[in-house]
Amino acid sequence: MFHWLEKRPFFFAVGVFIAIAFAGLIEILPNFAQASRPVIGTKPYSTLELAGRQVYIKNSCNACHSQLIRPFKSETDRYGHYSLSGEYAYDRPFLWGSKRTGPDLMRVGNYRTTDWHENHMKDPAAVVPGSIMPAYRWMFTNEADINTAFAEQVTVANIFSVPYNKPVPMKDGSTAVVKMGNNVKEAKALALEEAKVIAADMKDQDVKDAVAKGNIPEIVALIAYLNSLK
Amino acid sequence: MDIATLQAYGYFVLTVGLTVILYAYIYHLYKNRKDADGHDYEEYSNIALNDDIVDTPVNAVSKTEDK
Amino acid sequence: MENRPLEYDYTVAKMFMLATIVLGIVGMLIGVILAFELAFPSINTILGEGLAEYTNFSRLRPLHTDAVIFGFTLSGIFATWYYVGQRVLKVSMAESGFLMFIGKLHFVLYVIGVAAVVVSLFAGVTTSKEYAEFEWPIDIAIVVVWVLFGMSIFGLIGIRREKSLYISVWYYIATFLGIAMLYLFNNMEVPTMLVSAPDGSAIGGAWYHSVSMYAGTNDALVQWWYGHNAVAFGFTVPIVAMIYYFLPKESGQAIYSYKLSLLSFWGLMFVYLWAGGHHLLYSTVPDWMQTMGSIFSVILILPSWGSAINMLLTMKGEWQQVAASPLIKFMVLGSTFYMFSTLEGPIQAIKSVNAIAHFTDWIVGHVHDGVLGWVGFMIMAALYHMAPRVFKREIYSKSLMAAQFWIQTLGVVFYFTSMWIAGITQGMMWRAHDEFGNLAYSFIDTVTVLHPYYAIRGVGGLLYLTGFLMFAYNIYKTMTAGRKVEESELASASPMGA
Repeated sequence: MFHWLEKRPFFFAVGVFIAIAFAGLIEILPNFAQASRPVIGTKPYSTLELAGRQVYIKNSCNACHSQLIRPFKSETDRYGHYSLSGEYAYDRPFLWGSKRTGPDLMRVGNYRTTDWHENHMKDPAAVVPGSIMPAYRWMFTNEADINTAFAEQVTVANIFSVPYNKPVPMKDGSTAVVKMGNNVKEAKALALEEAKVIAADMKDQDVKDAVAKGNIPEIVALIAYLNSLK
Repeated sequence: MDIATLQAYGYFVLTVGLTVILYAYIYHLYKNRKDADGHDYEEYSNIALNDDIVDTPVNAVSKTEDK
Repeated sequence: MENRPLEYDYTVAKMFMLATIVLGIVGMLIGVILAFELAFPSINTILGEGLAEYTNFSRLRPLHTDAVIFGFTLSGIFATWYYVGQRVLKVSMAESGFLMFIGKLHFVLYVIGVAAVVVSLFAGVTTSKEYAEFEWPIDIAIVVVWVLFGMSIFGLIGIRREKSLYISVWYYIATFLGIAMLYLFNNMEVPTMLVSAPDGSAIGGAWYHSVSMYAGTNDALVQWWYGHNAVAFGFTVPIVAMIYYFLPKESGQAIYSYKLSLLSFWGLMFVYLWAGGHHLLYSTVPDWMQTMGSIFSVILILPSWGSAINMLLTMKGEWQQVAASPLIKFMVLGSTFYMFSTLEGPIQAIKSVNAIAHFTDWIVGHVHDGVLGWVGFMIMAALYHMAPRVFKREIYSKSLMAAQFWIQTLGVVFYFTSMWIAGITQGMMWRAHDEFGNLAYSFIDTVTVLHPYYAIRGVGGLLYLTGFLMFAYNIYKTMTAGRKVEESELASASPMGA
């Protein structure tokens, strides 16, 4: 058998491929059906939150911040309940990160406010003395891309059956509905509605003015996303 | 049988299979000093050492034989 | 028709050598900037507030990793393939106009791909998956480049004179297949431009945006199956291919045991792919996968050390060469760092160690003793060996090469020692409790304590970059000012000027 293989480059390549492929076959594929079910209390992202998530990704926040709480006392003390697989059911892509240069953000919405984020993103070291995080001032002027966020919503709703405009069960027994617009205009109106709530808690006058005029700066979307992490 | 059980069996069978194949290969290499073409395995080191285009190949491709 | 003797044609190899050096400088320079940004955050706005978006740590970080992986390392792999491939198969690219065309097209498309990656990452167009940040249009371009690489490999094999494939060719084939499979599966994504709004109107938005085919835990599983094995098939397999050719050739010594090299090859192929789970210990992937990831990571020591020991034993009885030749020094220290790194990795994959090490700088340290000490040293050694043969001139300066070796070695040592200490310090501080069971340190305490180590790491990186610039200069002078050499001087040890 081995003699035969040594003489034939083509079958050699096939052999190598089988050797490297079967780990994936056994290890990864069969898990797919099981791991993607949401736990109770996990909602899809709203348009504005999704736009914020895209801002998070655009700036590679995941290069320094994890979103994965491991089941150790030191981690649950610091960040809250350890992560459950189903909580990530609507995360495309996942944002676990691989390095905690800054703290974990999996449940940052539980203990930080809009106001805190606003000051922190403007000047991290002023809020947390000694912080090495850079400031993200351009997020206060760049505009969030609601169109792309909406396109992403429609894509996941169509292809992966993410339940927009449908009731999803919450922890207290009630149901919640995350709305998705029928067209760009509606989507923007929904996002703006949410943005106004965020902007009301912010101090930056330029951001407030922009939202009043119907524009949504990146920072507003980002804060909406961070507040949704619970 | 649920998928996890199947997976576990699959894992076991493949791990055992892998071990058997690898050990068979070790045994094969140990047993045979020469490969299918009758060349000592260690001769193949010379492919790197004598690699000028005019050097004689260790094991030349002959025109009649298939690759 | 002129009747010249047939010669190997290194046109494409030369192009990729140049790309290796240029992209190496870019990637390492960005790395050094990043290192100093962590130590001294004011560097984040070094080009002023207006450009802060493009000089800030988080925007630059994917550029660093991708520039050194897909820029420096990959073009190093291509450069050596277009050199080693011809020689061990004893066939010249000049013999086939088709392969020559494929090779040149490969280079041109690769350069275009690199340019697209640089622009898109600066603009923040990323999927966020590590080492797979590119959006779908670039993914397609990368697949085309990869197919051309495959055509080069199998095309050259198809017209070979040496019937048996040398072990390096095995490793190059595995690199091609492994990356192809991993890259395709990890980058399965749905472009969002394909949909229209529920009422049928157009949406607009970024045309290049896409959504991952996998969600949450599954996405993580596929990503780290990819992430871990991209290391396997980008940083291990092709670099082993290089050392199996360049060390015997440069030293004039046959491989210690050719059989052992075959065995390590199959061992590595079987075992490596299982180990990806060790990136996800204590996460939400099933427990048994985590355990398997741990176990296979430990087993992985065997085939890795099989290759490394084989290389060190190749030098048996010839250790005076290590003292005499800086080129051999690079390769021998490279193998040593490979052994070191492949021992450190499995240790970090043990669950209880991982509990402390994960998310800390120790992991960063581990990656860098592998890539700086093993990948970087080996690629530079390969290019040093190729230069006299490709340019028909002797290496410009041996003493410069020796100086570079010591500067870079010092840089690597600074790098990994500081990151060890930083990582373990931070890991221990995160989990420390006081006598009442409360957390002993706030997060920021565990950041400020790292300042000195970050500074030392920056210096280490700077030393390595300095060495790399010396390397670039040395190669440049070899091309332009080295003494012309005869074919007879090129049999084994590379000719070097003072």
